[in-house]
Amino acid sequence: MSTDTRNPLVRAESSALERVAGGVLAVSVLVFALSWATTFEWLRMGDHVAGLPMVDWFGVANLLMGGALVTVGLASWVGLVDTSPSDEAGFVPGIIFGAMGLATGFFVVADWLDAGALAGLGAGVLVGIAAVAATVVPREDLGSTLVPGSGALLFGGLIAFDVLTVDWWFAPTWWSMRFVGYWAIPIGTSLVALLTVWSAGKARSGFGTAGRQTGAFALIGLNAFGMLSILTLVIAYVVSKGLPMLLEGASLAGGTLSLGPLSLPWVQLPFVTNATGSIFVDVPGVMPAVMGTIWLVVGAILLAVPLGVGAAVFLTEYAERGRLTAVVEIATNGLWSTPSIVYGLFGFAFLLPRFADGGSNILSGQLVLGFMLLPLVLITAREAMLAVPDAQRDASAALGVSKWETIRSVVLPSAAPGIVTGVILGVGRIAGETAPILLTIRASNFPRSSPGVIEGFRFVGSPPFVTNDALLQGASALPLQLYTTIQAGQSPRPSEFSFSEFGWGVALVLLLVVLGFYAIGIASRIYFRRKIRS
Amino acid sequence: MTTASGIRGLIPLNDGGRFVWAVGGLSLLAFFALFMLESSLAALPFFAFVGTALYGWVRHQSATALGLSLVTTLVTVTTFGLIIFFLVEEAWPALEYEGLGLLLDQDAGWTFSQTGPSSFTLLPMIYGTVAVTVVATLVAAPLGVAGALFISEIAPNWAREIVKPGIEIMAGIPSVVYGFIGFVVLNQYMYDHMGLVGFGNFFIVGVVVGLMSLPTVVSVSEDAIASVPDEMKDGALAMGTTDWQTMKSVTVPAAFSGVSAAVLLGIGRAIGETMAATIMLSHVKDIPNPITDVFRNGETLTSVIAFEYGNAGTLHLDALFASGVVLFVTVMVLSVGSQLIERRMDQKLGGDR
Repeated sequence: MSTDTRNPLVRAESSALERVAGGVLAVSVLVFALSWATTFEWLRMGDHVAGLPMVDWFGVANLLMGGALVTVGLASWVGLVDTSPSDEAGFVPGIIFGAMGLATGFFVVADWLDAGALAGLGAGVLVGIAAVAATVVPREDLGSTLVPGSGALLFGGLIAFDVLTVDWWFAPTWWSMRFVGYWAIPIGTSLVALLTVWSAGKARSGFGTAGRQTGAFALIGLNAFGMLSILTLVIAYVVSKGLPMLLEGASLAGGTLSLGPLSLPWVQLPFVTNATGSIFVDVPGVMPAVMGTIWLVVGAILLAVPLGVGAAVFLTEYAERGRLTAVVEIATNGLWSTPSIVYGLFGFAFLLPRFADGGSNILSGQLVLGFMLLPLVLITAREAMLAVPDAQRDASAALGVSKWETIRSVVLPSAAPGIVTGVILGVGRIAGETAPILLTIRASNFPRSSPGVIEGFRFVGSPPFVTNDALLQGASALPLQLYTTIQAGQSPRPSEFSFSEFGWGVALVLLLVVLGFYAIGIASRIYFRRKIRS
Repeated sequence: MTTASGIRGLIPLNDGGRFVWAVGGLSLLAFFALFMLESSLAALPFFAFVGTALYGWVRHQSATALGLSLVTTLVTVTTFGLIIFFLVEEAWPALEYEGLGLLLDQDAGWTFSQTGPSSFTLLPMIYGTVAVTVVATLVAAPLGVAGALFISEIAPNWAREIVKPGIEIMAGIPSVVYGFIGFVVLNQYMYDHMGLVGFGNFFIVGVVVGLMSLPTVVSVSEDAIASVPDEMKDGALAMGTTDWQTMKSVTVPAAFSGVSAAVLLGIGRAIGETMAATIMLSHVKDIPNPITDVFRNGETLTSVIAFEYGNAGTLHLDALFASGVVLFVTVMVLSVGSQLIERRMDQKLGGDR
């Protein structure tokens, strides 16, 4: 009786296996991060850490991970530690390891040793079969540690014995690139670390079904962490590169704000407030592009919100499900998935000739972006209206008011938060679009002045009676300004600011504008959800 | 017109309402006709329509509101129709000139001449788009589905509150910014350390485009996974399976069609992605030999349009529109495919609700 009471579900203290495997898991996650840091050149391959060059540390890390995995697997197999492995490691790891073995064998023999494709294929198949057998045949504890462990030992050994060095390179015949030790060692190590994360995760929970869960969850969690890291990296990189340009000549109280006769000290940010191509400013700025983006967004909203909300009202409140709604759904999904460059072509062929005799103009850009925004507004507005409970509509109808009055005073107010957040997020998306406005509003690479839309309206005696020269001329916008800078290959003031200095500055302002819309949209959604729940 | 009578049946239209509908409808039709004819007179019926709508809003609000909502719906459908019409109309001369060779001819090149014969084919661009899309899918599909599993099934609440908005913000980073990073940083890195012959290659464009379509795959497949009824999962868990076993054998198989729809939509996004390819590639129109060599430079269906529309002659421009048609048709097939799959999934899962 006394031997059967040890129930793993209620075991309180951690076993030696859990500590060792947990340690390996933590180390492999760290190695994964460090190997990417080396790929990104934050850590240099030539650096010496504690007297040892970086590349040797990669050898050590691989040997350590491999040795630990094999040890844990063997310890579990001979019964030194208490585990509950299944009979075999399963098909999926077998196939993955087999494919890796096949690729490695083929690569080494056919291309590196130059023995021809046939010999390579033979070697690949042999290694592949061996990997599959080592995974599938033995019990799970050996099957899921042997292959990654020995792979890590092999890789680490090659580095330790200077077969793979920083300067090692190899040019495969089927790709016009070179594997160079400089990046192949860290990237290879990151792959080994991934396998180790999985394998050590399994071992930590004693293999078996619990082990499989831990192994899989560790990989999936690492993936989510990786995605967030990419996002953070992209934003941090643009900020760090663009900040010097954005703050060029900036001061907290150096500018003036004139309110009628009063003139107050104000923030000065020449990169945002100056014209781009003007020779009269010290710092070339992005004001024309900022104004262009503002006018594009305003025009797109004015077009898309009434159309989208109106169509959503019709679809959810008036129309019976039938042929018309089916057609509208097809059109909406079609508009949603139409590539942005196709919108550009549409504006180019359809709108440009009708507004400015085929020349670029802001109005066409506004309409094209509005058409892109339309499906986003329609879909979110429809979802928001469908989420309004029918009981509210019935209660209103029971008061004897007409259908439209119910929509106006019950449905639309309840759906408004959802619609507003949808519009904000949609605007964030179209504000960053380049391709459609490239074909419709592009004028000069570095505009000298902002479009004067408000003062541009004129009444004339013949149709169309109202015209606006500013709207009928080309302009710039933030994403377009970045693209034209890249295409010009230089900044508007090549003698003082380099192409990439100016480019990163534009990219930062663009990112701030777009992510600002997203932040407001997401925050307002969270706010409205909380309000509804409470 | 069954819909019209169905709509008319909803609201008793009195004489005033009928008048508003008639005048508004007629002026809108006149506006559309004149606008299509590129006449500046189009403004007249447009103002008439606005005036009628304003009058109707004050005097016959219910009827006008219904009419306006119908108009907005029709405008949505018409817009989609106009996109198709103008795309095909502009591309037609190019399609007529080269016929099927536009898609299949390997040696036609890309030469346009005002006087002599022109010869062009989209095959290298189709290759480029396929190469980029394959790499992008290899990046976006596994990472995206794993990310969706994390958000909807695995993550503790605090982690979900971070990862989910994070993915959404990732969708917001403009493609031109990704392209700039790729152009300045990644192209340079690969040139320095991978022994490439020139700047830019399909592989790295594919990786960048894959990262860009990742949010689409994550959010759409997360919706699919979250829509699997709890009863199904609870049944499995009650049998004593672990969470991971439930995911593997119940949740993911049940959501499989929704997840594959998400991947299809992600592929559609990758195919239509323009700016990263335009900025990072150097616009050579060759098919690499062997065709697995994705580390070569080239052109995609999207980048050729963005790069060349500015100085294109008539037939050249038509050929660019033909490239747009190929893109549009491909993306529409993917979109319709994913919708059909999603509908099937709704029927399957809706059965026991």
